[in-house]
Amino acid sequence: MSFEEFQNSARLYVIGALEPDELQDFEGARKQYGAAAEDFINQCYSLHEAFALSLKPAKASAAIKERLMSMVRERSERQSGSPGA
Amino acid sequence: MIAIQAGDPDALSQLYDRYNGIVKALILRIIHNDAEADDLLQEVFLEIWNQAKNFSAQKGKPLGWMITLTRRRAIDALRKRQAYARAEERLRAEPERQPLAWVQNSTAEDISSGDTRALMAKVISSLPEAQQQVIDLAFFRGMSQREIAAHTNIPLGTVKTRLELGLKKIYDSLKELKDEF
Repeated sequence: MSFEEFQNSARLYVIGALEPDELQDFEGARKQYGAAAEDFINQCYSLHEAFALSLKPAKASAAIKERLMSMVRERSERQSGSPGA
Repeated sequence: MIAIQAGDPDALSQLYDRYNGIVKALILRIIHNDAEADDLLQEVFLEIWNQAKNFSAQKGKPLGWMITLTRRRAIDALRKRQAYARAEERLRAEPERQPLAWVQNSTAEDISSGDTRALMAKVISSLPEAQQQVIDLAFFRGMSQREIAAHTNIPLGTVKTRLELGLKKIYDSLKELKDEF
C-alpha cells in the first residue's frame, strides 16, 4: 500500500468505515510507515471536530448538570476518603 | 483537562459549561431523541471524568478526544437500544432536515465562534451531495461501507470512492484553514 493509499484508508479508519479485510491491510501499512502513520492518523481525528463543530449547538436540561456534578463530587469525596468534605 | 485529571470537579463543571452544547448536538444528531440525548450527555461527561487519565495532549486536543468518545458512545447507544428502525422513521418524517441539516450554521452560544462554525459548514457543504450523503451515514450513523451500499443501493466501490474523495476534500480544506491562521 502506498502512503497515499494509506492516507485514504486512515481517513476512513478514524470514522470507523473500513471493512474488516481493509482493516487488516491498513494495520499492516500502519506498522510499515511507523511514526509517520501515527502522526497522520492523529491529524485525521480533526475530521471529528469538523463534523461536530458544524452542528447547531443543542440545549441540555439544567437538571443534567446538577445530577452529573452531584455524582462526580460524591465519587471524588469517596476516593479522597473524606466524605462530607 | 489537567485539572480534571487531578480530580477537580470544578474543572469538569467548567468543561461542561463550555462544551455541553456541541456534545449534545452530536449525540442528538446520532440518536434523534432529546430525552435519550440528555441521559447520554450525562453519561459522556461522567466517562470524561472517569477516563480523563487516558487523555494525552500529545495525541490531540481535548475537544477532539471528547468528540471521538461522544460519537462512539452515541453510536453504541443507537445500536444497543436497537433504535435503528425508530431513527429511520424519524428520519423519514423529517425529510427537510436530512441529510444536510448537519452542515447548517448557527449563531447561538457555543464554544466556538460563529466564524468557525460557518467555515466548517462551508467546507462540508461544498461537497457534492452524493459525497455528503455517504459521509453522513458513515460518521453520524456509524455505518460501514457495505451497510451504506445496502442502505442506499449504491455499488460498494462507488461508496468507497465517494467516502475517500469527500473526506480528503474536508481534510485538505481543514489543513488549509489551519495553515491560514
